[in-house]
Amino acid sequence: MATPANERARGVPVELAGIRKAYAGHVVLAGVDLRVAAGELLAIVGQSGTGKSVLLRQIVGLERPDAGRITVGGIALDEYLPLPPDEKPFRIAMVFQSSALLASLTVAENVGLRLRERGGRAPAEVDAIVRRVLEQVELAGTERQFPAELSGGMRKRVAIARALAIDPELILYDEPTADLDPILTEQMGLLIARIRAARGSTQIIVTHNLPLARAIADRIAVLAEGRIAECVTPAELAATRHPLTREFLRASALAG
Amino acid sequence: MAVEAIGHAPRRPGVLERLGASLLDGLQILGEATRLFFAAARATVFLPADRQRVVVQMVRVGTDTLLIGALLSLFVGMVMVVQAADQLRDVSQDILGPIVGLAMTKELGPVLMAFLLAGRAGSAMAAELGSMTVYDEINALRTMDIDPVRFLVMPRFVAATVALPVLVLYSDFIGVWGGAAVVAADPAIGIPVSAYFARMLEWVHFTDCVVGLVKGLVFGMVASILPCTFGLRTRGGTEGIAASTTAAVVWSFILILVFDFLIVRVTFALD
Repeated sequence: MATPANERARGVPVELAGIRKAYAGHVVLAGVDLRVAAGELLAIVGQSGTGKSVLLRQIVGLERPDAGRITVGGIALDEYLPLPPDEKPFRIAMVFQSSALLASLTVAENVGLRLRERGGRAPAEVDAIVRRVLEQVELAGTERQFPAELSGGMRKRVAIARALAIDPELILYDEPTADLDPILTEQMGLLIARIRAARGSTQIIVTHNLPLARAIADRIAVLAEGRIAECVTPAELAATRHPLTREFLRASALAG
Repeated sequence: MAVEAIGHAPRRPGVLERLGASLLDGLQILGEATRLFFAAARATVFLPADRQRVVVQMVRVGTDTLLIGALLSLFVGMVMVVQAADQLRDVSQDILGPIVGLAMTKELGPVLMAFLLAGRAGSAMAAELGSMTVYDEINALRTMDIDPVRFLVMPRFVAATVALPVLVLYSDFIGVWGGAAVVAADPAIGIPVSAYFARMLEWVHFTDCVVGLVKGLVFGMVASILPCTFGLRTRGGTEGIAASTTAAVVWSFILILVFDFLIVRVTFALD
């Protein structure tokens, strides 16, 4: 999927070097090395429990790795995270598997939350941004509804709208198509591809939906046994000889 | 690894080991609650900007407690007069007013309202924050550079801390009038309502009301910080939320009584 170079430049590169993470002695990430180019759409696939979501939580700073270094936009994550919000040179957004919308807030309040709390913007400006991003995810008119009144697919799209509202240079998605039917999965894939085409943000998607990854990603990283087994284009993945990747492809074909 | 797993069943921890683990867990909870208390206190500098959220929480506390608080206080005041009148039948029922007045202002009003707040509003706080923790809403706030302590904990902390002293006065008032109603209506009580109030005013001093209000202030902090602490440390889905909610209420009750004892000791020492 071609994207104009000037738009691609809005994304930031991400580099992970030797990321290790263990919980109560159980090693989940055993030294992950990964480079994501600015504006790239990377899918991380792997079996359940291989640490895909854990890896995302390290990149967004919700957890700190036991060892290793994460660099985003040329800045070490440890230096980026403590910066005051308005001094951060770029923004990172995350779309959670559970959508993580605040149940007590309306759709508009959820989407505009970061802008109202930290943006220092006028309410009318926030409202305009909220309307615009809700249109982008095809949810115009739902501003006054509460998350409980929406379907699972709509909630995911609201979560994406909330991420888009802060105009992020890096967007992380944790299982964006989990619990969605095939039609909604396809719509979600198209939406993510459209966001990339329109904004050029770097996007990292954790998924176990291999067809989705093949359809929208520039490269696919296979996470197995705590490491990146390989990181290749969708075409290269089909012809892989890596035993762990082949095992995952075989299992995915059976499940699919 | 597999052979080892088959050969040896997991060792069941002994009594001392479990006791030690519980003790460490309890200390950790107290540590987390203390840290959250200071963080919430620091976040009160944003009170002017966040006043709307505080008002919302105060309304919640009020709707959760006012009606039940009135019923509790009314019947406690009434029961106290019935019980004390029977005990004092052969002595003097003159001190019924002071008994009800002092008990309500210094002890029953604060403790009853604190238990009510912990049981109703506190459990709701623990469940709400627990659910937000389990379903990544707290993490979503963090990724948006929104401090969960300022956004969620501080408004609840301030609302409960301000509301509880007011609830204490409310409880004192209703409890005292509940007692007065029994004095007026019960033929076994041989003093007029005017004497009940006159003796009460002789015995109950302004400082007694202040002690009750100080208790309300401290109990309000306890009954909000502990539920928020348990909410934020919730793990493990729906069962985790239920466990956190129950633990928050039990811990709040215990610590309210511990602080009650400490305040009483301090006030007696100051007298």
